[in-house]
Amino acid sequence: MNFVVGIDLGSTTTKAVILDESARTLGRGITNSRSNYDAACEIALAEALINARFSRIASELVGTGMTADEQEKCLSELEGRFRYQQFLGQLRVLREEIARVLSALDHGADYASVTERILGAIEKEAVALFAEGATRKSDFFRDLAGSAYLRHAEDEAREAGLSFDLLVGLYDKAILDVENATSAAGTFEDHAAAALARIESPPRELVSALERVSRVPLRQLASVGTGYGRARLPFPEGRIRSEILCHGLGAHAMFPATRTVLDIGGQDTKAIQVDGDGIVTSFQMNDRCAAGCGRYLGYIADEMNLGLHELGPLASRSQRPVRINSTCTVFAGAELRERLSLGEKREDILAGLHRAIILRAMSLLARSGGVTDQFTFTGGVARNPAAVEALRKLVFENYGEVTVNISPESIYTGALGAALFALRAVERFDA
Amino acid sequence: MPEKKGGPAVRCGGIDVGSSAIKVAVVEEETNGGELRLLAHGVERIRKRHPLTVLQELFQGTIEDAGLSREELDYIATTGEGELVPFRTGHFYGMTAHARGALHLDPEARAAVDIGALHTRAILMDERAKVLGYRMTSQCASGSGQFLENIGRYLGVTLEEIGPLSLQADDPEACSSICAVLAETDVINMVSRGITVPNIIKGIHQSMAGRYLRLITSTRASGVVMVTGGLAADVGLLQAMREAAAEQNVGVEVRAHPLSVLAGALGAAIWGAFRYRKLAEKGVSLSA
Repeated sequence: MNFVVGIDLGSTTTKAVILDESARTLGRGITNSRSNYDAACEIALAEALINARFSRIASELVGTGMTADEQEKCLSELEGRFRYQQFLGQLRVLREEIARVLSALDHGADYASVTERILGAIEKEAVALFAEGATRKSDFFRDLAGSAYLRHAEDEAREAGLSFDLLVGLYDKAILDVENATSAAGTFEDHAAAALARIESPPRELVSALERVSRVPLRQLASVGTGYGRARLPFPEGRIRSEILCHGLGAHAMFPATRTVLDIGGQDTKAIQVDGDGIVTSFQMNDRCAAGCGRYLGYIADEMNLGLHELGPLASRSQRPVRINSTCTVFAGAELRERLSLGEKREDILAGLHRAIILRAMSLLARSGGVTDQFTFTGGVARNPAAVEALRKLVFENYGEVTVNISPESIYTGALGAALFALRAVERFDA
Repeated sequence: MPEKKGGPAVRCGGIDVGSSAIKVAVVEEETNGGELRLLAHGVERIRKRHPLTVLQELFQGTIEDAGLSREELDYIATTGEGELVPFRTGHFYGMTAHARGALHLDPEARAAVDIGALHTRAILMDERAKVLGYRMTSQCASGSGQFLENIGRYLGVTLEEIGPLSLQADDPEACSSICAVLAETDVINMVSRGITVPNIIKGIHQSMAGRYLRLITSTRASGVVMVTGGLAADVGLLQAMREAAAEQNVGVEVRAHPLSVLAGALGAAIWGAFRYRKLAEKGVSLSA
């Protein structure tokens, strides 16, 4: 099967979308961005290919006589086992890296048994983390392993009278190398068989679908990169497009009647106006400040020891949102802690923080030319229900009744736009 | 045990609650304004734990180090965000506490610059630690301690390693003031461009130093300026501040003391002793 790939190298996450030759989406992959852009691209693409294989298995199961429920159950079981195998692989690399860092320390040996216990505990808990129906705070190893590590490190440090700071520092050092080791997470081929082996008497339909899908060759025809780190992408210059263009085209592909696009990404917020062909006519971007971008919420989530996914649902429960006085993200974090210690409710503070970020976006929209029907909200923050709620309310108050489009895959808008540009390049080449 | 009330020696605990670390100093003052002995001290970073829990453990540990019990302290003084401490005797403004602590650590100091996790304050004072004027950074965390810590995390270096690494720089990467949160990605960008960790850190130190120096000179300070707060232990930052002061010829001498991080706690404890004696003179007895 031939495919083209679009990669959106964002400041927080790197996304890949792969399309077949008739512009159908085959797979999507995401990973957290890191210091090594090449590695981030490689991993996002690897994830998209894994996703493509799983989608293919899903379509192979259709018409095998299994019920829809049975299909879904065995697929999610396979995927859970697969993710578990990936996690173990990454944990193995983390263990090696921590041992390496420790061996370079003066009193590193004193810590070896403690880190071994911490890592052992994380490994034991991992089974439950990837069990049927388990919810995870994040999709990324850094966050999953990190929060478990912090939890155990605090107990271990107290018990053994060792430095908590040093233990945390160890993780911070080691995780960088884990993330940059492209092989740590592994490919579909690396884990598919092991994942299947972990399922007790798997349905034979699944076994044969997996076998068939594993044999399908995938061939990359072209790639286009975009995003914050695009200048550093391992792509030739002609294969790079600006984020604005990609988001415009991606939003247009998802919702052809779109005229205004708001993208709240990790560290950029963009208000874009497009014409009927998805071509950008004007845009505004935020200045270099985290207030008003996704990083703002990311920072707040870190402060509260919550996963980014948990923030929105929690904020949505608020009855009395508070007014946040700080603009700066770091100060908002301090204000949050202060309000919490004064006994204010978490959901009320969070609702206030969500409103604050959307207010910043509203001023950007106004400067780009306002909101014209239809309005599409993209970027990672569009997955956050509290942010969406605040945005709908403010758009209605300022611009009246407007169709608001939000795709569940909106985080991939930029990557989709890039993939479409890649496809155009292939078509031009063919013609 | 010596007779406490009315006796000459006064023992005080000082607690400085910052947004990222808690500092405790236990002092004994022989006579009013007389020799001051630091009996014990401690610093603990909060790191997302509950501040009050961290504080209680640290405070208890520190007074035990001093060989005392809480009942043997005449005064427990807090500063910073210390108003949340339920067992305090009294609370002092951060500015006055830092000025007093700085003067104690270096009697020649006529200004202090308190570089903490969120705010930086330049404090102008006289020879008796009376605050004559001050300037603070604005409501943006760019160039704060938290900013530097964020960057350290992304470079995989601890706060302790930042200073020595900065001193190894040979070609500092210039960086203008950048958002404390987004700086992380700028740093990733620098790493991916092959800039060495020492050069990244030194560039950031230089940008911070320039900002702090402007803050100091805007108070019209001259002579010895003591750096206090958590970042006073950062030798790279101190070096960058000295270089900037020499380059701009502003007539300030940047100094720091190994106990600079304790300045707030120390100053609070000293003010606590002062207040305790004042009140005792009036016949008011405090139970700490």
